Amino acid sequence: MKILVCIKQVPDMESRFKANSQGVWFEETDLAFRMNEYDEYAVEQAVQLKEQLGDAPEVTVLSIGPDRVVEAIKKALAMGCDRGVHVQDPAAATRDPWQIASIIASHAGDKGYDLILTGMQSQDRGSAQVGVTVAEELGYACATTLVGFAFSDGTVTAKRELEGGIKGVVRLRTPALVTCQLGLNVPRYPTLPNIMKAKKKEIQTIAVAELLKEEPLATTVSFHPPARKGGGIVLEGDVGVLVDQLLGILKDKTAVLR
Amino acid sequence: MEATREIYWNVGHGVVIPMYLLALAAFAVLVRGFLQRLPVYRLGKPLDRFDRYDERVKRLIGGLFSQEKVSRVRDGGVPHALFFWGFLTLFAGTVMVMLQADFLTPLLHVNLLSGEFYKAYSLVLDAAGLVATLMLAGLFIRRFAMKPEGLEIVDDDIRIHTILFAILITGFLLEGARMAVTELQQNPDLARFSPVGLLAARLFTSYDNPSIMAAHKVLWWLHFALVLGFFCMIPYSKLRHIFTTSINAFFAPLEPKGAIATINMEDESAEQFGAAKVTDLAWKDIFDADACTSCKRCQDRCPAYATGKPLSPMKVVQQIGEVAFGKPGADLCATVTDEVLWACTTCRACQEICPADIEHVNKILEMRRNLTLMEGAFPGDEVRTATGNTEVNGNPFGLAYAGRGEWAEGLPVSLMESGAEVDILYFVGCYASFDKRNREVARNFVRICNAAGVRVGILGKEEKCCGEPVRKLGNEYLYQMVAQENIELIKAYGIKKIVTTCPHCFNTLGRDYRDLGLDLPVEHYTTFVHNLLNKGVIKLRAEAEPFAFTYHDSCYIGRYMDILDQPRSLLQAAGGRLTEMAKSGYESFCCGAGGGLILAEEKTGTKISEARLTMVKETGAPLLVSNCPFCLTMFEDGIKTGGHEGEIMVRDLAEIVAERLEGV
Repeated sequence: MKILVCIKQVPDMESRFKANSQGVWFEETDLAFRMNEYDEYAVEQAVQLKEQLGDAPEVTVLSIGPDRVVEAIKKALAMGCDRGVHVQDPAAATRDPWQIASIIASHAGDKGYDLILTGMQSQDRGSAQVGVTVAEELGYACATTLVGFAFSDGTVTAKRELEGGIKGVVRLRTPALVTCQLGLNVPRYPTLPNIMKAKKKEIQTIAVAELLKEEPLATTVSFHPPARKGGGIVLEGDVGVLVDQLLGILKDKTAVLR
Repeated sequence: MEATREIYWNVGHGVVIPMYLLALAAFAVLVRGFLQRLPVYRLGKPLDRFDRYDERVKRLIGGLFSQEKVSRVRDGGVPHALFFWGFLTLFAGTVMVMLQADFLTPLLHVNLLSGEFYKAYSLVLDAAGLVATLMLAGLFIRRFAMKPEGLEIVDDDIRIHTILFAILITGFLLEGARMAVTELQQNPDLARFSPVGLLAARLFTSYDNPSIMAAHKVLWWLHFALVLGFFCMIPYSKLRHIFTTSINAFFAPLEPKGAIATINMEDESAEQFGAAKVTDLAWKDIFDADACTSCKRCQDRCPAYATGKPLSPMKVVQQIGEVAFGKPGADLCATVTDEVLWACTTCRACQEICPADIEHVNKILEMRRNLTLMEGAFPGDEVRTATGNTEVNGNPFGLAYAGRGEWAEGLPVSLMESGAEVDILYFVGCYASFDKRNREVARNFVRICNAAGVRVGILGKEEKCCGEPVRKLGNEYLYQMVAQENIELIKAYGIKKIVTTCPHCFNTLGRDYRDLGLDLPVEHYTTFVHNLLNKGVIKLRAEAEPFAFTYHDSCYIGRYMDILDQPRSLLQAAGGRLTEMAKSGYESFCCGAGGGLILAEEKTGTKISEARLTMVKETGAPLLVSNCPFCLTMFEDGIKTGGHEGEIMVRDLAEIVAERLEGV
């Protein structure tokens, strides 16, 4: 059995984001990067399945991006994936979901993966399109937003999160692709022996030009912070003074006391 | 008539050969008992505790004869020390008799045990026997009648008390029987120098000499048999502590307090990190279990134990012994349990008070290393998150690392990357960098430095967590990762001196980073500012603003670094009137945040911070002064949850000093 996990390295969401000079994406200086949260669930699920099947499946982890994404690949290897594929693309941030999906599909096309796992969406761009598009291109069965996963005899039984707290259960024959949601599992913390082992695992580097043949279908026009609409005010100090301040604000800025 | 006595009176010199043979046999049993334990100690990993030999011997001799560590705790300790000295004197007296009878008399024909010396000898030995008997009685009453909380009674205890009593009583009866026939009748003046023996002799006076002499023979052999029995018991009972506890003073660590073995991350052959089994610990850790006397002083002082957590440092040490001697292949961490291991704040109160030189904290840390590095375990999900945050953003809060230096905006602080000349690098730490309350401490420290004309540099967004909390939780890998980055940076800037406001950063940079190649003077601001005051570089307005306060010794400044006086004298120089808490100095009670637990929720028992605040309240002082960002955070929190708002205020020493700077 062959499993592919697709991961993305994203900036930590607590970072200070600034638009880049073209105004179409963020500047990378002063950002801390980590593995996309939803992709961690995908990695964990793949490793759990590998353990369930007595180590038989080979788990490949793939990431597209500049050299820094190797850190995320290494983490996935330390968590238990067997080999890494780094699609080297310094311009990955400018690709639209269609292009990213095409790169993955063109890698996976002849590899015969039985199961592909991705995060439900990325924390930075958040299109939630890559997984389903890959499934479509490869002709795989697909289920999204998984919060439960079971596998036996070539069949995935997936619990999906629907709106309003409702869950749905679907069955897919492999080959299949699933996208993972918060609540699916608790990603493991890599143990030191596994971190050491991961250092010796193979990471294959492929230039993006070898896999990307498609033009973008959607273009990012602008990246900017939302216009300030007057943030909250925190009043601090003596209660007596606070009351006066509050009254003043209510009178000046609201219609409550009119 | 000369004051002396006939040795082997009544029993005759015929006993000498059987006596020595039997004594030799008993000695053999004793040695065999200990030899049987050696292979179990050897289950542990090698560790050199025979280096700096002279220093170790000094500690052994000094510790043994002074009984300083035993008597430091008066309850139980003082009677035990007196008993020890009494029994030791009796032993020495017996050895002198042996030397006299079997060496000096037959070989040199001199009699030392005569005249004035014999009188003194008699009196001292009688007194020693009396003291030993009284102390033993006192300790017996304490253990079996008063039953101090937490003191366990095992079968050994009753056996040991019985045999010791029997030895002392038969000794006095033996003396009395001899005196009844000899001294009382021939030299009553001399009898006065054996007052207890005299009392015992009176018991015999109504009997005739042949009966007394018959009784004497029986008593002689009984006393002798009891003493042999005592020797044989030593390795097979708690009595073994006579040897193991004493020798542990020799094996005690000579490294700076708090030193932790730095794991070699380059060693690719390593398969086990931390201790999963007793065989992963050092031999000294197993030996420690044999040195433990179950005095429960550690348990009495453990903040986790005191607030209803399942941890007792004494039990952890004993469990290591039970596993080593019982089932050495067993899963040690599972025996001790994760919950116990995660409860330790590494406050070191256990180790500081231990009369047996046992190293509790590092055992727990080694087991935590196994949990963290081998199993990827955490005390809770909040710690998992904080660890991930430290990995990604270099701080446990997960805040953007780019904002690390923002607290210093508008202050006279240089960023090292600007290339400015500085006198000190202020290693700010995560709390003073990001936590709103602790940023005040950082700002005030800078104000003090500025008033003293000290040019302060910071690393700003380049600084990372020092790694202490994660290291104390067992995550050596992450610790070394952040430590290496900090060290490379600090070295690259050619810094001469580092000052920290956080005791945890202070311990880590000043001691632990040395193992990783940072060799710079590192100082905590309490001594740094104290020095500025002493040199007259800063002056404080003492009279203008007197205030009452109590002072909390953080574990990592007090117990770990012996800094007790400087902060107190600084605060008093600032006009403070100090009321000490019941537990202060080396006996200070942890705030609950050490050992990485600042990152964890306190899920079992009551809150350690609230227990400490109760002690603050007992002083009646409205102000609690601390010297550590973790303490400050815990107490600010405890004041709210414990209902002390408006009653106790907690401030950092830097805030007090900065407010009272003269000419600012």
